Amino acid sequence: MSRLNQTITVAKWEFMQFFKWKQELIAKSIMLLLALGMYLWHNQVLYQPEPQKIVSNIELVELQLSDDFVLRSEAKSKEALVEAVKSGEIDGALVFKSETLPQQVTLYSQGIMSWQTDLQAQLNDYARSNAAASLNLGAEQLALLEQPLQFETNYLDEAVKDAMQQSSFTANGLLILMAVGVFMTFGQVFVAITGEKQQRVTEQLYSCMDAKTWIEGKIIGQMLHAIKAMTTTIFTALLGFAFVQVILKGQSLDLSIFDFSVLPWFILFVLVGIYMCTAFIAAIAAAIDDPNHSGKTAFMMIPLIPIIVGFMMMDSPSSLAVTVLSYFPLTAFVFMPMKMALIEVPFWQVVIAFVSSVIGCVLIRNMAARMFKMGMTMYGKEPDFKTMMKWAMSVRS
Amino acid sequence: MYIKVDNISKHYKEVTAVNRLSFEVHQGEVFALLGPNGAGKSSLVRMLVGFTQADEGQITITVNGEQYTSIPASELGYLPEDRGLYLEKSLAQNLMYFATLRGVDKKVAKERIDYWLERFDLLERKNDQLKSLSKGNQQKVQLISAVLHQPQLVLLDEPFSGLDPVNQEKVVAFLKELKAQNMTVILSAHQMSMVEKLADRMLLMNHGQSVLYGTLADIQSQVGVGSALKVTFTHAVNVLEASTKLAQFEVEQLNDTTLAIRAERADQLNQLLAHLPELGDIAFIDSQRMDLHQLYLHAIEADQAVQKGEAA
Repeated sequence: MSRLNQTITVAKWEFMQFFKWKQELIAKSIMLLLALGMYLWHNQVLYQPEPQKIVSNIELVELQLSDDFVLRSEAKSKEALVEAVKSGEIDGALVFKSETLPQQVTLYSQGIMSWQTDLQAQLNDYARSNAAASLNLGAEQLALLEQPLQFETNYLDEAVKDAMQQSSFTANGLLILMAVGVFMTFGQVFVAITGEKQQRVTEQLYSCMDAKTWIEGKIIGQMLHAIKAMTTTIFTALLGFAFVQVILKGQSLDLSIFDFSVLPWFILFVLVGIYMCTAFIAAIAAAIDDPNHSGKTAFMMIPLIPIIVGFMMMDSPSSLAVTVLSYFPLTAFVFMPMKMALIEVPFWQVVIAFVSSVIGCVLIRNMAARMFKMGMTMYGKEPDFKTMMKWAMSVRS
Repeated sequence: MYIKVDNISKHYKEVTAVNRLSFEVHQGEVFALLGPNGAGKSSLVRMLVGFTQADEGQITITVNGEQYTSIPASELGYLPEDRGLYLEKSLAQNLMYFATLRGVDKKVAKERIDYWLERFDLLERKNDQLKSLSKGNQQKVQLISAVLHQPQLVLLDEPFSGLDPVNQEKVVAFLKELKAQNMTVILSAHQMSMVEKLADRMLLMNHGQSVLYGTLADIQSQVGVGSALKVTFTHAVNVLEASTKLAQFEVEQLNDTTLAIRAERADQLNQLLAHLPELGDIAFIDSQRMDLHQLYLHAIEADQAVQKGEAA
């Protein structure tokens, strides 16, 4: 059997070890149902709101509320209006304390409803217009009062992207997804490898294939899990975002806060980065004999360091440190896509960073394979770090 | 398939696991590696499989005219000493995984899996999780996983350990079937009665060195076959008197009229026969052959004595 076929067989086995069809189908169906529900809600197929019946105790001259409300004035006491709300006859009662400016009003309703914010905003506009009219102010003067200072930041570095909020969202999103991927591989690889060692299956596997083939298959299988977790995270985040925007805020879904132009490069850097992290984690996990008492587990978290540093340095994407780290083979997979999300990066720089990442990936994979081979057939005691480094640097794999 | 091991040694820091060992294994034979715990059998097996390399000497494995320094994966079925399978997976999933890794077509693998599971009375449990099986039954599944790709060589480290006598016999039958298919089998075991039934040739190791090597007959002649006699007299005999008269022999009382008398070397037999009439009238004499178990104990004790002498 060719090495490629063996790698594919191992990758499939690794992936399917933790992939449960039933659970996946249930989880994804729930997500799809939620998405469908939000779509239908947004298009008012599921829910067509009735206009809210609001009664005011004073005459609100020339007030034009939106179609979501039906407003009428009734010169009734507060108690009578509250009683009408209690009985469900009306949805809200506006009780004004005076008819002159500045007005004070209390809204009585059954509970917290989303329409209350809208009503308050429309009444505020109405009150502002009335105030302006009483001061003989025109619309332009009113606008001037409402916006006394227009503040704008202009960056001399032309590379800084215009929409800083959009860039920041994207960069944060990239790093969070990377962290999700690394955490996922950490957990799965740890369980898979220590499990295989404890079940004493390693020598049988070694008699079928070499260490490189095995670790490659293992990495690819676990990478697929990480990518699945990252994809699920993206969809869950989008669903949450859509829920807030569409259902809670009643707005249309607007994804312009994310910069999708970096997505193709991001995917490439993620693939290389997660491969490298998985190889490293696999090498350390192979040296662990007893997962309950090993001191090496903490070292498996080392791949998270570039991501944490990335979060810390996000506010200075043009700094020398970020520039250096975006080319360094072991950190480029985090820093270059983060930098791309924040500032404009020339194409050639991205290519250099990617090539650097690939070189780092191959080096780590080869060293990991040597450590993996020795570690996986060592039972009963754990090698010290000096021994592990000796394995990693050995020529034979 | 032909294996030639030429003067190999393996050292781990101050410990010499294998010490200038040489032997050959031929196509289609069952070759047994014998020796007490720590004799170096597993170190030797790991070198044959290619997990470790010999520090000195050479291993040459000839397969279909090609020469290798360790057994090629495609021609090896391996049951290691430290063994196990995926406990959470079913028997079928485990076996199919190993068959696929060995390049067996899925349809063919399925047929072979069913065949061997049937042979080991496990077919009905094919879809059960491995962890639901007893240790002995798990071991049978491991044995099956080693032969699904029909390799030229099957290397089994302690195949009988953990099995009850009934299942030990099943494994013997399994190995005989492999031999009938012209597969070469190398096994290490402590169950001498099983080895005696199976092995064409054997290598007894102690302290990493060869102590005895060859067929059972070769070994019996090396240790002293026929040097033990069971002598029945027409009258009661006294073991103390017999021991005094036959001082250079080892005498054991079997019953009132029967003694077992053992000579150190085969060439002492004539001397023993000449002295026997001194003990009285003989009803009959039976030549006692040492079985493999006795040969093993005798050889290991002798080797230990030599080692102690050298150390002193």
